[in-house]
Amino acid sequence: MISIKNLHASIGEKEILRGINLEVKAGEVHAIMGPNGSGKSTLSSVLAGNENYEVTEGSVDFMGEDLLELSTEERAREGIFLAFQYPIEIPGVSNMNFLRTAINETREAKGEEPIAAKEFLAKVKEKSALVELDGSLLKRYVNEGFSGGEKKRNEIFQMAMLEPKLAILDETDSGLDIDALKIVSHGVNKLKTKDNATIVITHYQRLLDYIVPDFVHVLYKGRIVKSGGKELALELEEKGYDWIKEEVNA
Amino acid sequence: MTTQKSERMTSTIANTKVTEFVANIANENLPCWEKYAEARNTAKEILTNLDFPTTRNEYWKYSRVTKIARETYHFNNLSEEKIDLDSVRIPNLDTYEIVFINGFISLVNSNLPSSDELEIIALRDSKSHDYDSCFSKNLDSITNIFSALNTAYFTDGVLIKAKGEIAKPIHIIHYSTGENIISQPRNMFVSTTNSSLTILKSSINNNTNNFFQNSVNEFFLEKNSKLNFYVIQDYKKGMNVMTTNVVNQERDSVFSAYNYTIKGDWIRNNTNVFVNGENCETNLFGAYQPTGSEHIDNHTIVDHLAAHCESNEHYKGTIADKATGVFNGKVFVRKDSQKINAFQSNNNVLLSDDATMNSKPELEIYADDVKCSHGSTSGQLDEEAIFYLQSRGLSKKSATALLIGAFLGEVVEKIEIPELKEKVLGLYGME
Repeated sequence: MISIKNLHASIGEKEILRGINLEVKAGEVHAIMGPNGSGKSTLSSVLAGNENYEVTEGSVDFMGEDLLELSTEERAREGIFLAFQYPIEIPGVSNMNFLRTAINETREAKGEEPIAAKEFLAKVKEKSALVELDGSLLKRYVNEGFSGGEKKRNEIFQMAMLEPKLAILDETDSGLDIDALKIVSHGVNKLKTKDNATIVITHYQRLLDYIVPDFVHVLYKGRIVKSGGKELALELEEKGYDWIKEEVNA
Repeated sequence: MTTQKSERMTSTIANTKVTEFVANIANENLPCWEKYAEARNTAKEILTNLDFPTTRNEYWKYSRVTKIARETYHFNNLSEEKIDLDSVRIPNLDTYEIVFINGFISLVNSNLPSSDELEIIALRDSKSHDYDSCFSKNLDSITNIFSALNTAYFTDGVLIKAKGEIAKPIHIIHYSTGENIISQPRNMFVSTTNSSLTILKSSINNNTNNFFQNSVNEFFLEKNSKLNFYVIQDYKKGMNVMTTNVVNQERDSVFSAYNYTIKGDWIRNNTNVFVNGENCETNLFGAYQPTGSEHIDNHTIVDHLAAHCESNEHYKGTIADKATGVFNGKVFVRKDSQKINAFQSNNNVLLSDDATMNSKPELEIYADDVKCSHGSTSGQLDEEAIFYLQSRGLSKKSATALLIGAFLGEVVEKIEIPELKEKVLGLYGME
């Protein structure tokens, strides 16, 4: 589905990604772990098309297309979804209005008719139930006054509405209590099919108890320095990141 | 010394301009308005001593009137022509309609009420009226040349007086057409004790070039009355618009003005509110979104002359391309006007590097037991919010439109008539 080769990216003068190689196939769940400052969030931002980062080298192929040539919205319409670590509050823009616009612009780009009001509402009802998101929150402005957990659930709700091919969850577990974590994970698992893929970016192993990865990669100093199965996450949980750092620095 | 000399020279030249400007329109036949002959003569007298203001004058610092002053104008009475009003009508809202064409009342296009609770008199009507003596009360015609011009040579107008709770809004529609035409409508709106009145003002212009509309509206709110004044300014090319609203509030009254500017080459709105009685409420809301090289200026004054009153003012604008926005809001709280709550704020979003916003909120407080605040912000749209919306599939254009809508929407939401709110949201391109 996505093939990342030798990806380098910087912000200003500072190089953060220094040659990422990653291959994700349909139906797979990949976890990317790593210490703070290793470049995890930069990777998700670059894949989503954040213009604050400059890609200096490498390529990203997404379902046969050169992803780096596409604008942020084109990537979204092709099926990339980023669940933000810190979802932004947008006063004055209602959740529903925003989502309908997002769905309709994606449909328009594909030459499809806009979604019927009834169909949209039915879908909202179904998908919000998936993450136990209260109906009253949907009528409010995007994330305004939402608790940390509500914001994260809103991200997964949007993901459910947009049905992406590749979902990138950027530290979706941060700031969540165990109940919210279960709800969010349940939502993500329910959305999993053999045709889509998920990249879970996290610092802690805890989330991976609920969203079980097929592969775990360790990111350090802008490179993937170790890959393995789900047992690698447990090893990291037990031993921390120091042994990885030592291995790399040796 | 040199400065003084050159100023005097400028003033002489400018004054010749006023003489020429006036000479052109003074030659034309306006109906005889005996009741206002004295007021007109006084204004004509004032005009001989007034200059067109330069940007050295603080009140006109950011709005040049040179391009208005240098043209010559004449009146053009086309009030018998039938015109299409559909574009400014509010879907599903029943209103009375008073139509002006080039500043002259057009009865053939109007739909006037016939209700005992609502009195409408043309100012040209010689029948005397209890509000005749209030004509020009508190109008700044001594210092403001455009107010003096209107008083001296106003084209036509009505006095509307509510004597009960008038549910149906009165829609005043100004139709403008022609080249180098001046239109000077003049109206008086009165809400008598315990009454309520809603005035809605819209404009249509077709084939205009160097058209100058200089209107004056006077408002008189008697005790415990309520008056809402909604203005939609949506002009095609070729219009220079000056509006002056003077509001006089007596005790327990509520005045609310809503000014929504959609488009206009050059617009200057002056709204001056004199709060004469206790326990009054004054609300001033406005939104503007100049693009291209448009120039939109809103000047307001709220003068708290009595205690225990509240005023709320909120103007918001987005300025794009090489456009200019101006906001100047003055709030006076006089010495014995205690327990005043006065809030004023002006927020702007600059959408381009060449856009200009001049914002000046001013408070002058002479009482000691008051609660007042004022503030002004000018910034850019939140880039992070745009990225967030794009990451969900919205184009940059729709993301921007959604954020602008959210920003300006706050003052559009203030509209109390749902059908009208719908119309204004549509005009701003918000769903």
